[in-house]
Order: sequence, then structure tokens, then C-alpha cells
Amino acid sequence: MNLYEFCYGIIEWLVNLVNHLWYWLGDVLPWWFGDFFDAVGNFAASDGHLSVMTIFLEVLIVVIIALVNVLNFIWIFRKFMGRMFDFYGPYYVGYRIGGWLQNLADGMKLFVKEIIVPAKADKMGYLLAPVIYIGSSILILATIPFSENFGVATNESGAYVPAGALFALAAFAIAPFSILLAGWASNNKYTLIGGMRSAAQMMSYEIPLLMTVASVFLLAGSFGFVDIVGAQHDIWFGIPLFIGLLVFLVCLAAEVEIIPFDLPEAEAELVEGWTTEYGGMRFGMFYFTTTIRSYAGGALATALFLGGWHGPAVIPDEIWFLIKAYIVYTIFQWMTWSLPRVRVDQILGIGWKRLLPLAVINLMIAVALKSMGWF
Amino acid sequence: MAEMWINMGPQHPMTHGLWNLRVKVDGETIVDAQPEVGYLHRGIEKLCEGKTYPQIIPLADRLCYGSSLTWSHLYCMAVEDLMNVEVPERAEYIRVLTIEMQRIVSHLMWLAAYAGDLGLGVGFVYTMREREVFLDLFQSLTGARITYNYPRIGGVAHDLPPNFERDTLRAISFFEGRLKEYEDLFEGSKIFMMRNVGVGLLKKEDALNQGVTGPTLRASGVSYDLRKDRPYSVYEEMDFNVASRKEGDCYARYRVRMDEMYESCQIMKQALKKMPKGKWRVVAPRNAPVGTGLARVEDPRGEGMIYVVGDGSDKPYRVKIRSPIFVTVSAAPKILIGYKVADVVAIMGGLDMCIGETDR
Amino acid sequence: MAEAKRRSSLGFVVRPMKLTGKTLANALFAGKPNTVMYPYQKLDLPIGYRGKHIVDFKRCIGCSNCVQICPNDCMWMEKLEDPELGKIERPGVDYGRCLFCGLCVEVCPTVAIHESVEFELADHERSKLKYGPKELRDDTFAGKITEERQKRMLPVLDMSKCTSCEKCAGECPEMAIAMMPVEGVGKSKPEINLAKCNSCKKCEAVCPESALKMEEVYESYFEMPEPKFLLMSCTGCGACARACPADVIYMMEMPGTEKTLKDGKKGKPKKRAVFVLEKCVGCGKCFRACKFSAIEWPGVRK
Repeated sequence: MNLYEFCYGIIEWLVNLVNHLWYWLGDVLPWWFGDFFDAVGNFAASDGHLSVMTIFLEVLIVVIIALVNVLNFIWIFRKFMGRMFDFYGPYYVGYRIGGWLQNLADGMKLFVKEIIVPAKADKMGYLLAPVIYIGSSILILATIPFSENFGVATNESGAYVPAGALFALAAFAIAPFSILLAGWASNNKYTLIGGMRSAAQMMSYEIPLLMTVASVFLLAGSFGFVDIVGAQHDIWFGIPLFIGLLVFLVCLAAEVEIIPFDLPEAEAELVEGWTTEYGGMRFGMFYFTTTIRSYAGGALATALFLGGWHGPAVIPDEIWFLIKAYIVYTIFQWMTWSLPRVRVDQILGIGWKRLLPLAVINLMIAVALKSMGWF
Repeated sequence: MAEMWINMGPQHPMTHGLWNLRVKVDGETIVDAQPEVGYLHRGIEKLCEGKTYPQIIPLADRLCYGSSLTWSHLYCMAVEDLMNVEVPERAEYIRVLTIEMQRIVSHLMWLAAYAGDLGLGVGFVYTMREREVFLDLFQSLTGARITYNYPRIGGVAHDLPPNFERDTLRAISFFEGRLKEYEDLFEGSKIFMMRNVGVGLLKKEDALNQGVTGPTLRASGVSYDLRKDRPYSVYEEMDFNVASRKEGDCYARYRVRMDEMYESCQIMKQALKKMPKGKWRVVAPRNAPVGTGLARVEDPRGEGMIYVVGDGSDKPYRVKIRSPIFVTVSAAPKILIGYKVADVVAIMGGLDMCIGETDR
Repeated sequence: MAEAKRRSSLGFVVRPMKLTGKTLANALFAGKPNTVMYPYQKLDLPIGYRGKHIVDFKRCIGCSNCVQICPNDCMWMEKLEDPELGKIERPGVDYGRCLFCGLCVEVCPTVAIHESVEFELADHERSKLKYGPKELRDDTFAGKITEERQKRMLPVLDMSKCTSCEKCAGECPEMAIAMMPVEGVGKSKPEINLAKCNSCKKCEAVCPESALKMEEVYESYFEMPEPKFLLMSCTGCGACARACPADVIYMMEMPGTEKTLKDGKKGKPKKRAVFVLEKCVGCGKCFRACKFSAIEWPGVRK
């Protein structure tokens, strides 16, 4: 049973429950109210209304799962960092569960901080940029399924959106615009520089990213996630296309702005980069969204290269997907804390001069494999 | 983008100390630079005129809090020159031992801040962890961790505690092993090399003309070290090499300081072996004669100098302090112009600024 | 770039990651991380650590040397009334200003003040940081000091018992005692050169009046100023003798200075102050007590 049917069942049960009360009210009240109530009740039980509510419920479930996973990611990030630095990570808040509640404590702290809007900031841009950034980042999660039965972007019969991966990558690429907007609208030299750097970095790393993904599309023969993962049931794409996997991971690190590619928000020179002028929970939402993007990126890497949800049937498919995404994230963390920051012109140099040729080579390998008929 | 002046500081997360660096940028390239110091001026030279000679020693500690023992030792040397006091030999060896340990501590703190600036958080934490070992040794010897108040006019405050020699030798061998591991962490990473090699060139003539001293000068090809060229204390009896390089870029400065840490370990081992028994302190006169006293010492950051003028009473008439970083920071325009804004951190971090001694 | 070793593209990541991976494995599996979970775990501080002061009321003589040498003016002397010791003056410390430098400990002539290992002195109000002498009092700290200052047995003169018989000067094997005349009193007083004394105790044995006693005296590394006495201005009021904490000053009568009163009787003779400077700790209280400028203090202009 896939997610759509599951949620449909729940909504149907819920609407029937409410409708019992509703029809009873319609009977009790005088005749002119009664008709109205009946009409509303019939509309509520109709198929169109039910499917819309189902989609809301699906989205809610997926977003909640994403948020909980992101809290886990942040916890892993801080514990990992702590142990690598030879100290404990969060320890006392939620003592028995290893300090997991530290995230909630930090979130509460950010809620009660004073939010100061700079006087000369461009109000429209300043307030709109976070909205675009956060909205587009959560939009990526819409089309990534956890398994064949667990995904949001389906039609009524459960068939998947045929251009799922393309949509996810497009949503991924909206972010640079919002960063540029935020950096410029804050009326601050530092944020301007940070915004420009960030836009340059993200633009130049989109291209190797998309070329690598194009090679995967070539081998799988379609744009949809279910087909791509289905084509990996014999062998994961990451094994013949290992160059592509490496390039993809490096580009992902640059897109998500983690050290070594975190110059846009380098503390040493730019205070906090393009997020300097945002205070309180707005800043918290930026931080959160960066982790959502790395979660989404990890999910993409898993689905495209690491076999998606395939694994021994001991553990359900969805958990396999999550485990692989966590492993990708952990390797990112290890890399983050071992390396210094790369300078901005060197970042662009790496993107254009080293990764682009490698992506082209990868594409040629994919073409060769496809033409030999192995996939 | 048009040319604009950017203020890095005085409130900035990673400029070490309170100073302002104004850079004129054209896009990302630096066109001009103007350092502004003076935010941390505490009037130490004036405060010295109202205190007796022993009371100034804790004040001299606080000149540069990164390497405080060098400055109090330098002050004691200057006053001993003024009063013609002869320091016993055991005290000289203890002074050399503690000064070299202080050099290691100061360079470790520089390395921690440098790694943190470049984005390498692990570097910060690991070097601070190593530094703790030496701070514990200092704590058992002097009673404090950063501002020791240990040298006195006429020797050192008290003798070495029991087991100090064993603990120090253990710490040195542990530290030398760790220092080799750090080469993996720093030089084994191509990103670190990319950010340091070829960045921030200081030519030999520029360095000599600007009056730069210390590791910055030695990294530009001039092998000048006060411990070898004008020996003071018992450095003539110690056998060590002077670390120097020819290139003059950030990597050379980093390498010179790492080599200096190795050499300091060798000097410490020799001092422990050669230390004689005897007195560690003599009574110094209370009133100074009318005259002047001068002392120069190789501070971890360069050449420090203190000049004391006595007028017959128990308080000095004038204390003049020459700080190495005050001169080095004026060479900033020569090093910065032509590089990117992102290089400012690596370059200025490589100069090891301690604003306490700059602004006094 | 040419001088540094050429590293492959994997040199981006592999070697540093080995080191951090090693630390991670060490911290997770082979022992605890290098952290002390303060305040639940505390470090063991060495005894020489400079923390909060403790004052031994019995050893302290109230000389205020510590107050004068403090570089930051953090200490003051407070007048107290103690049931055993009577009216005394003892030091208090303002921890809002204290540098914990330890100079007060070094200059004390009787080793009466010491710095313990207690450092948790934070408080919510600045006025609470001023610790009076009663809060610093601890009369039993001798066991907590690791290195006592060097002690010597030195002869201490009680001028009121001395008869100027000169036996001590003759007996001393090091020629450390010289008899110096005291003007106006008609006696001479033994002046002991403490640098030459070898603590043989012969002078104590030979003195018929037991005016010389051997006492344990702590070595002092700071040269303290000494007062200079001007006989011309002394009126014999005895204020200096009352102010001195270390029993240095004795008021002695000058025979032959009695005034004849109106009814023919003779009045009392004038007195003058006699200084036994071997015991002087250099506190300067005599200088401050004398209202007739009969005592000169070095470094202070008239």
C-alpha cells in the first residue's frame, strides 16, 4: 500500500467521523439550515475534496519526518564535531539520550531573541529572501521518495511524476537568487560581498552537478526517481560511475556551503556573511534550511548513485534510504572538520578547471556503457 | 564593483586583539591598506613611573599576555643592567628554561589562532590541548597559568619544585611526537598549501627597510636571531640552530615557527642537563643609581627592548618599551597590496599580532 | 607552489582525515575525551597556586608591608578587637582589584599571609568582593605551605635589659658585633652585622642580663628602607615606640637633661628614641607617627 492510499484512508475515516456529527446537526436544525449542512457534508465526502486533503496530510507527514531527521542531523553534526575535537558534544540537555534536546533548547533561545531590522534595508527584499530560500529548499523534498510506496508527488493511481529528479534539481537551484537578494537588501558591505561570493560559487558548481546527473539519466533512461532506482537493482550506479559520484559529492558540498567551501559565510572575514543582519529565529531558520538542503542532497545522492532503497529485506526500504543518507552526511562531516577553507577564486578555479572536465569524462563513460547495452 | 574602503575591526570575531585594518578593495583585490592601532592603550609606561621597581614586574607581564614571561624577564634584565646586580648562575639557567617554554606556548597559541582563521577548527583545538601540558608545568612552577610574575630583580622568585625535571622531559618527548602529527594535519592538506604558498610575499629589502624583526624577518631570508648574534643570559652555552627560510611567503613564516618550536625543545633539554646547584636569587638594592639601563631580548614575535632611566629613588624616572609588532604592523601595506580580501586573514594571522604590546 | 611537495588530488582530504579519524576513534572507543566536566569534576591544583589569601592572625604583626607593596592598591589595614590578641590591625583584600601576583606573600616578614588554592570567588555584587580580615583568617595554615622561606637563627637584642658590658662583642668569633655609642644616654649598644653571623649562639650564652636571644627569623629578599633618626628634633614623646609593630624602638632616658623646676626639685629627664635596626621590617609607621620630623624616611622629600 503506498502513501497516497494510506493517507486517503485516514482522511476518509476522519471526514466520515465529522460528517456523522454534521448530518445529525443538519437533521436537528430547521429546514433551511439542514439543506446547507447536507450540501457541505456531501462536498466534504466527495473525491476531489478528499484527494486535496490527502495531499495536505502527505506533505505534513513528509515535512515532519524531514524536520525530525534534520534535528537528528544537527545532533550528529555537533556530537561528531565534539568527538573529533576531543571533547564531548552536547551533554547535559537530555542527559540520558546523549544531549539530543540541545537542539530544542537552542531553538527556544533563538525564539526569544530580539529581532532588529536595519533602518536602511530594503524591506521588501529583506523580508522576502528568507521566504524564497526556505520555501524552495523544502520544495526539493516533494519529489524525492523514500521507497516505491512512500512519496508525495504522485497522481491518483500512484504513478510517479515522470520528471521527479529534474524538478528536485531545479528547486535546488533557486537558492542563489534568494541569497543574492538577502545579501544586497541588508545594506551592509560585508553581506554584499558574501552574497556575491555565494552566488558565484553556487552558479559555477551547478554545471558539473547537472552534467553528472545527466549521465545517470542517460543510464537509467528516464527522469523519474522510481525508474532510476529501479535500474539500480543489479548494481549501484556509483560503481561504474565512481568519478561521477566523487564529483557529485564535491559539488554538493559546495552547494550546501560547508567547510571547505564555506567562504560566503566565513567567520574570519565576513562575520556571518549574507546572514549577518538577520536575528533571532530568522537566523535559526537559515541555519535549519542549510541542514535541510544537506539532507535533501544526501537523499539525492542516495537515490541517484547509491542504489536508493535497495538492500537486504531485513529492514524496510524506507529505513535503508535513511541509513544511506545518514552515511553520506557523516562522511561530509568528517571532511568538514579536517580541512581548512578554500579561497574564493580557488573555489571557482576548482569548479571550472577540475570538476568540469571530470564530469565530461564521466558523461563519456556513461555513453560508452549505454551504447554497449549493459544498462 | 567600485572601489571601497572596508573596515576590518575593531569589533571583529577574528582579528586577534583590538585594532582596525582599513583596506581599499577593488572587487576582491586589495589596492591599499592602513592599519590603525591604539584602541588598547593602557598607559603602561606612565603607570610605571608611580610604582617601585618590584611592583612593575606584574605590570610588565601584562604587556603581551601571549608571551608574558619574556617581557617581565626583559624588564628585570634592564633593571639589573641599571643597578649592576649579578644574577646567580642557577637563576640564569632557570630563566632560559622558562623562556624557551614560553616560546613554545606562544607559538602554539599563534598556531591555534591561525588554524582557526583558515577554517580549520581541529587545528585550534589540538594545539590548545598541547598547550595545556605546558601551562600545567608553569602552574606547578610559578602558581599561575598566563601572567606568571616569576622573574625578580636579582634572579627568579622561587626554586624548581620537586619532580619538575622529570615532568618537563616527559612533556617535551610527548610534544615532539605530536608536532610530527601536526605536519599531517597542516601540510598534508593541499588546501592549506594553496592558501599559504605564494601568498603575502615580503621581500628581503622591504623587510630590512621597514625594521621588521623576528620570525617574519627570518622567513624572508635574513638569518638574524638575537640569541645567536648578541647573546644574553646563558645562550652562549646552548647549542641550537636558527630557523630561517628564503621565500618570504606565509608558508615560510609558518615553517620558521614550527622549526623554532623544535629548537626550543632542544634548548630546554640542554638547560635541564647543565643546570648547576646554588642560589636562585640575590637581594637587589631598593634605590637605583642615577643612570640608564637597556636590555634587548628575542621575543617570540621579534626584538623587544626596554630602556629604564633611574634617578636615585626607588621608582624609575622613565621606562621606554619597544615592541616588535608595532613596527611589523606598519609593514602591512607592503605585504597586502595585490592580494585578495580572503588573503588578509592568512597574511595578518601569519604576522602573529599581539595588540597588548603594540599599544602598551 | 613549486617548492611544496606535489600532492595528488586526493591529497585534498586523505591525510588530514586520517588524523581526525584517529582522534575520533580514540575519543569514542579507547578512553574519554580530553575534557574535565567542571563543575562536576574539578582539577587538582598544585599547592603553589595563587588563589585566595589566608592570614594567620597570630603571626601577623600588623606592619602593613603587604598593603604598601601591592601594585594595584587592593589591600587595607583594618583595626579589630580580638578577645585573645587585644587591639590589632590586620589586612583585608579587595578581590575586585587583586592581581593574585603574590608579592604580599613574599614581602611579609613573619610569613603571616599566604595564597591558598581557592579560586572560586565570583559573586553577584561588587561590594561582596571586599574580604575583611575576619573572612581571611586561618590560624593553622602552616601545614598548607609547601615551601617555607629560608629561616635563620639570629640574635635579637632587647635594649631595655642591655648594660653595655661589651661581653658579647668580645665573645663573637666572626667579629659580627660592634659596640656603638648612643648619644646622650651614656651607654653603647651592640650592633650586629647579620650577614656575618653564623648562629653559633655564643653571644646569647655569655650575656649576663639575657638581653640577646636567638630567634628564628625569615630571610627577606626585598631590601626594605630604614629610618634615619635626627636627635635634634626628638622630643621624647614616644609616639614612634608605640607605633612600631616590631619592637624596634626603645625610649631611653638621657641623664643630665633634667630641668630644675621652680621649687628647686629636679624634673624628669628627657627621653630619646633608640633604634635596634636589626629587627626593622621597613614599614614606615614610625615615620608617619612622628609629628616633629625627627625621623627621615628614604625617598620622601621634606
